Amino acid sequence: MNCQKLEENLPLLLYGELSTWEQAAYEEHLAGCASCRAAREKLERIHQVLAQRPQVEVSAALLAEARMALDEGLESQQHGWRALWRNGLPILRFQPASGFALALTLILCGFGLGWGLRPHAGRLTAGVGELNNAGVASSDLENMRISGISRVAPDPQTGGVKITMDAERRVTLEGSLDDPKIQQVLVYAVKSYDNPGIRRDTLDALRSHADNPIFRQALLYAMRHDPNAGVRLEVLEAVCNMKSSDDVHTALLEALEHDTNPGVRVAAVDALIDHTEKEGCDVSTAQALEHVAKTDSNPYVRLKCANAMMKLGK
Amino acid sequence: MDGACLEFAGKASAQPSLISEADERSLIRRAQEGDRVAFDRLIRLYDQNVLRLALQVVGSPEEARDLYQEAFLKVYRSIRNFRSEAKFSTWLYRVVMNVCLDHLRRQNTRKEVAVPAPQEGEPEFFQTVPEERPTLDPERATHSKEIGRRIQVALERLNPRERMVFELKHYQGLKLRAIGEICKTSEQTVKNCLFRATQKLRMELGDLA
Repeated sequence: MNCQKLEENLPLLLYGELSTWEQAAYEEHLAGCASCRAAREKLERIHQVLAQRPQVEVSAALLAEARMALDEGLESQQHGWRALWRNGLPILRFQPASGFALALTLILCGFGLGWGLRPHAGRLTAGVGELNNAGVASSDLENMRISGISRVAPDPQTGGVKITMDAERRVTLEGSLDDPKIQQVLVYAVKSYDNPGIRRDTLDALRSHADNPIFRQALLYAMRHDPNAGVRLEVLEAVCNMKSSDDVHTALLEALEHDTNPGVRVAAVDALIDHTEKEGCDVSTAQALEHVAKTDSNPYVRLKCANAMMKLGK
Repeated sequence: MDGACLEFAGKASAQPSLISEADERSLIRRAQEGDRVAFDRLIRLYDQNVLRLALQVVGSPEEARDLYQEAFLKVYRSIRNFRSEAKFSTWLYRVVMNVCLDHLRRQNTRKEVAVPAPQEGEPEFFQTVPEERPTLDPERATHSKEIGRRIQVALERLNPRERMVFELKHYQGLKLRAIGEICKTSEQTVKNCLFRATQKLRMELGDLA
């Protein structure tokens, strides 16, 4: 027994983690060693200091809160994708034989699929090659957007190079608005294209053919759903020039009551006045104007509606 | 390790295991089969102590609640992997300890010393702890608060593993063997870790002793 050994085991001595004979040996050493006794006293005082750490008590509220949060977490676990793995496929996880059978089945399916697609493989390659090798004209290249180059292989024999790339070719469609392909693309552009400038240009092209039912629906759709207020405003002006009908009237009322942009709501008031002057004032228009005059968040829209009601004699 | 964690539960207070080992085994089996009610009953045997340990480690009730949730969600996801060769409490506290260690490691990468700084307008952490000695005079209360702060800073200067071993040994009263099982390490390694932690604390708090 020496002082270093005792120092190393002093914490264990205080925690009562030593065997009886070890404890007896250390006590014997301590009885005859003043510096080790001082070290033990010092550590005991440190323990007394550590005992002053405030006791943390879990409040009932915190426990309840934690249990509630856990319940929510468990609910989502039970109904999430993990639940499928946990509950739906336990056999596969716990039966190595089933796992092996699944792996084998997947491999066989892979081979089967590969074999089945083998006749088409050449055609796919040819398709890609066709684009590369069929003499892409420089004018085509100008209209092509290269999204990635996967291989550049110099050919030492010919001194040439073979480039494999992914590219999108720009296509220009030209034709009458009566052409179903043109109509399809235009309707796509109105409903789904990200660029508001393109959508506005498209709607410009459509407004002169608003008697076409497909374009009419596209214009009304844009008036209700286009995310850009400027586009909605232009469409609203175009809709005003459309032949009056119930669907136009309904769309204008919706714009008045629900459009998020006050400029569009003001334009909707003007459009409704025009509509009413042509078709006469109906109850739904009067009610909508009265409602918006009272509740709209924008004072100018409220004033505009009130004036419209006076103009319409309501 | 028999009884080690029950001892832990007893020392950590107020949540003794009220069911027999056979009943606990039955709950574990049913929880493993996906019985949510059984799982809830099973974790209720330990969850208060787990929350207390988390609170002791992180200081903030919000973070403690997050650790509690993270730990029990892990338990839920992996309870099927539990094998009854080990005690459930040991396995559970291993999960809890790993979650706490991860938290402490993340905390250590965020800041050098994680003193539980009070939020603006909120009382300091130790002020939120109920004072059990209301007759203390203000001067002594201030002194106690300062000592509490020093202890917290000293504990946070330990590395995450030393901190957890020290918490489990000194404040939770677990046997070294139990800590070794929870940490999946040897008793000797735990002893070494405890020794290093004690040395560091002796350095940090020596002037108070």
